[in-house]
Amino acid sequence: MNKYDAYRTDFAALTGQQGPRLWRSLEELADTPEMRRFIEAEFPYINEARTDRRTFLRLMGASLAMAGLTACGDPTVAPLYSQPRGNWADALGQASTFASLLDLDGYGRGVLVETRNGRPVKIEGNPLHPASLGATDVFAQAELLSLYDPDRSQGAFYNGKDVDDRAAPRVLAEARAAFAPGGEGVRILTGPVTSPTLRALISAMQREYPAARAHEYSPIADDNSRAGAVLAFGRPVQAVHDFSRADVILTLGADPFGDMEGHVRHARDFADRRRAAHSGGMLPRLYAAESTPSLSGARADHRAVLRPAEIGFFARAVASRLGVVQDGPSDVHPMVETAAADLSRAGSNALVVVGREQPAALHALAYAINAALGASGTTSRYIEPLTAAETGHMASLAALAEDMAAGAVSQLLIIGGNPAYDAPADLDFADLIRRVPVSIHLGLYRDETAAAARWHLPRKHALESWGDGRAFEGTAGIRQPVATPLFDAFSDEEALALFLGADTHDGNDIVRTYWRDALGAADFEQSWTAILADGVVPNSAAPALDVSLQPDWDQQLPSEALPGLTVLFAPDPSVWDGRYANNGWLQELPRPLTKIVWDNAALIAPATAETLGLKTGDIASFNAGGRSLLAPIRLMPGHALETVTMPLGYGRRAAGRIGTGVGFNAYALRTSHAPWIATGVEVVRTGEAHALVTTQDHHGMEGRDIVRIVAPDQAVETPSTEPQPSFYPDYAYEGHAWGMTIDLDTCLGCNACVIACQAENNVPIVGRDEVARGREMHWLRIDRYHAGDVEDPDTYFQPVPCMHCEKAPCEVVCPVNATVHSSEGLNEMVYNRCIGTRTCSNNCPYKVRRFNWFDYSPPDPEPRNPDVSVRPRGVMEKCTYCVQRISAARIDAKLEGRRIGEELMTACQQACPTRAITFGDINDPASAVSRLKASPRNYALLGELDTRPRTTYLARVANPADPEGSG
Amino acid sequence: MTQLFSRRTSRALRAALLILPVLIGAVAAGLYFYTRSDQAWNVGVAAPQPIPFRHDIHAGSLGLDCRYCHSSVETAASAGMPSAQTCMTCHSQVWSGVATLEPLRTSLALDAPLEWTSVHKLPDHAFFHHGIHVSKGVACETCHGRVDQMSETVKTETLSMGWCLECHRDPGPELSAPEAVFSMGDATQQAAGLPEDMLRLHDVLVDNLTDCSTCHR
Repeated sequence: MNKYDAYRTDFAALTGQQGPRLWRSLEELADTPEMRRFIEAEFPYINEARTDRRTFLRLMGASLAMAGLTACGDPTVAPLYSQPRGNWADALGQASTFASLLDLDGYGRGVLVETRNGRPVKIEGNPLHPASLGATDVFAQAELLSLYDPDRSQGAFYNGKDVDDRAAPRVLAEARAAFAPGGEGVRILTGPVTSPTLRALISAMQREYPAARAHEYSPIADDNSRAGAVLAFGRPVQAVHDFSRADVILTLGADPFGDMEGHVRHARDFADRRRAAHSGGMLPRLYAAESTPSLSGARADHRAVLRPAEIGFFARAVASRLGVVQDGPSDVHPMVETAAADLSRAGSNALVVVGREQPAALHALAYAINAALGASGTTSRYIEPLTAAETGHMASLAALAEDMAAGAVSQLLIIGGNPAYDAPADLDFADLIRRVPVSIHLGLYRDETAAAARWHLPRKHALESWGDGRAFEGTAGIRQPVATPLFDAFSDEEALALFLGADTHDGNDIVRTYWRDALGAADFEQSWTAILADGVVPNSAAPALDVSLQPDWDQQLPSEALPGLTVLFAPDPSVWDGRYANNGWLQELPRPLTKIVWDNAALIAPATAETLGLKTGDIASFNAGGRSLLAPIRLMPGHALETVTMPLGYGRRAAGRIGTGVGFNAYALRTSHAPWIATGVEVVRTGEAHALVTTQDHHGMEGRDIVRIVAPDQAVETPSTEPQPSFYPDYAYEGHAWGMTIDLDTCLGCNACVIACQAENNVPIVGRDEVARGREMHWLRIDRYHAGDVEDPDTYFQPVPCMHCEKAPCEVVCPVNATVHSSEGLNEMVYNRCIGTRTCSNNCPYKVRRFNWFDYSPPDPEPRNPDVSVRPRGVMEKCTYCVQRISAARIDAKLEGRRIGEELMTACQQACPTRAITFGDINDPASAVSRLKASPRNYALLGELDTRPRTTYLARVANPADPEGSG
Repeated sequence: MTQLFSRRTSRALRAALLILPVLIGAVAAGLYFYTRSDQAWNVGVAAPQPIPFRHDIHAGSLGLDCRYCHSSVETAASAGMPSAQTCMTCHSQVWSGVATLEPLRTSLALDAPLEWTSVHKLPDHAFFHHGIHVSKGVACETCHGRVDQMSETVKTETLSMGWCLECHRDPGPELSAPEAVFSMGDATQQAAGLPEDMLRLHDVLVDNLTDCSTCHR
């Protein structure tokens, strides 16, 4: 029997079965004997052959990413350095934090980067930045690993051959020398540009070379919402949603907490609203109509599973109930009535959000609904588009492709991006690049586009370069370099300045000059210093536009679905559009809903898969428009029928050691006219199978009462409040006693905490084969549970770190006293004592202990977090409550003669977009964590075992609409 | 049936049975004492340095304060090493041309750090913070000895875990009055208070000093 059979199942086995109340996978629901065995084994596949040598070395290379940059000296001689200049002694080994900016498809998210001895070691959110408010998403955390990626491009090459390192200025100058008069045939292709400086440079180019053109393209762009605005308002505007004022929210295929620009802020506002409601007030209610299960859909109070073509009808039905349109279809979905009634009641505090995948007509309809409800100006406002104002990104790329095909492009500069890989398949963009006489690619990697272009020049990482950018609501932020460039490379602005022959091509000068002109020269130095310290330009949010619905706005009716399957394309929660494919942290991060690692899969509803005769892991051939694609499928509970979701960003051919050849390339089916929804797709079984690796059944907790759900104002039922008698010693805590609460009501399952923990605590990645054996090393995992019907289950997330039990079962079984109880209640792990018996893990009811099966640690871990030991092979490890941060906070507090306050945060807590995690001193009754532990929603996981965990959970609050319609 | 073992062999065996435990005990005792000896911990052993720097002249005869060069000792984990510029405050005037200071001038000219050899290096899994020790009354001399009398910098204590723990278990007797922390050989000041007074004076909570995570993370 194949060892992966435990992951595969027949849907038939599930039907008519009364499953446990909570289930993590279809396999668990079916309760197959293979699954039983897998869950019961503490270390499944323990006796199997190890990772082969080559895979192991490859992974070592990946984990070494952050180490390979320092010289390895004689380990017996420990150097102490006297720096030549300045009083560096103060900074030596001390953390210095700088505000900077990271962008995702052009939209900036403010970050604070902690550096040690000039090297970035950790990224946190910038509390002053409106798109972050101190939190981060997984991509911002993972940029740190990308910075140190040894596969980054380290020098220029010409037609695939290395050339002199300093070729870039010459190449760009020679290209300019060959410009035709007026810049005829000169083209620049960038990603979405919100950067004021870059936009000024592009405008300068267009003044100097009127015939030159600049194009913007990203495969994940919100063109449809822009086009919808033209239909509704007669002009392209960009919507900014304010969840802090939304009482009732309806999402139409949208994931405002997952992948929409501003998602971190949206999540925070929504969570703050829920928290405020717990102490009186109205709980916001979320309705989701969607085809693919999303993070927002998982959090929704009501969820309608609709085929993509049905969402338009659903929206129209809601609109007609609200009197926005005259004729609406009836009998679309029972949720129409409740949602419409609730939206109408909320009035100006209602909000309808549409996903970027949905057609322009649906966006227009949503704008009309928001306008009719009076929500314009409260829950959503409109600003001038921040990117590609005129055309939209896909049209911009298509126009460029047309010119290239016609031979009208003589010089092409591609700044960032990877169009040879991620352009729609019908454009055949890689081939077009090869036809351009002079094509220059500036990129972080020697990727697919670098291979197609004549010249490739290395690009600076965002953490190495000057720049700027706007947040989703227009606030400008400054990106300042936090590390000396590791390689001789150029930023976007520097390359463009060189290409255009500007006076200066120093990034610092370019950005400063722009802002000196923009802010005025008076007091510039002073205000500039303040801006750099804050990372944000004050009062730069885009002003709200006064737009109104055109009386004759273009109501395009939704069209009926074509026969055959519909394919939806979606950005991947880990690699986004493919740009993070070579990031090991992200590849090994279990995708929030599927828990798949190191892979993507075509997601399909169990019932549809059954009709097609497919089961999880089967490879199917998807054919549309003469193109075909082989992809493994995965059964996805709660997915729309006759629809397949394909995550983009995999199947890279030149990503690097980590990302090349992982998954399938969904761009192969994408076309420029239908970039999001492909209809009439034919599916053919191939009879072959592919082992998808997931973490969802690892570390099982055997279906006990794990996630609790309560009604508003209801207390959670605890089995017994009396502490039971115990053989274990009691401890007295004189000083601090640390504890944590995790609020399941605000947790969205976004994974930011998992990757923040990995970055903070030097947690290695172990690779696909080791994860398949259940040996992933994440100290904090997020369990995802389903409850109810396979067609449309409820979804719950539960982050599980070490519980730091008062009566810890692990402590008493260790034969060498390697895990001990501290005077502040931490359950501590002493790596040097551990001899690797793994008895502690066997005795842990929460399955939070991890074992180093191999030596994944780099030999010289300097660029990692220097405050955390790197664990060797054969040693147990687990969550420490970020003990290094506790120590640092204690020392700071003692030096300043005060008590430790709320400034002490664990890494997971700091990264959390919704502030679901609270950490602090439970000996102090006034601390935030003590107050939360007194909440009626507080409960201990597996409390009946009387382990008295320090980490407790706050039950999720269900807030369904009253069937009577009284709200 | 003949004897399987000769009489001599039996005697040898009996002797071995007697001697072996003694031998094992001796080796164990030897190892026990060796690992606790100064020799095993390189106490008193000087390391080769790029410049023959003399603490006895700078800190002793000239009376420079420790913090003039080790300027982050009160705030940071690392005590800090002086920059070449700090050295040049005096050495651009004094001994400005001597050959032994060539590495210093090279460092400034090439903008490259000067690499000294640490003699007080702790293992990577031990996390030590100078600032907190100094602020709680652990004098420089308590761990580093009479640096002001050293022509070559050497360890005077083993810096072993056992040695650290002696103080962490009962810090009172080792603490100095705040004004004596940076002075050398000032026995009167250092013994000025009773151990309990010193603990109260510096607000030292002994409970968590022996937690593993105090030094290992």
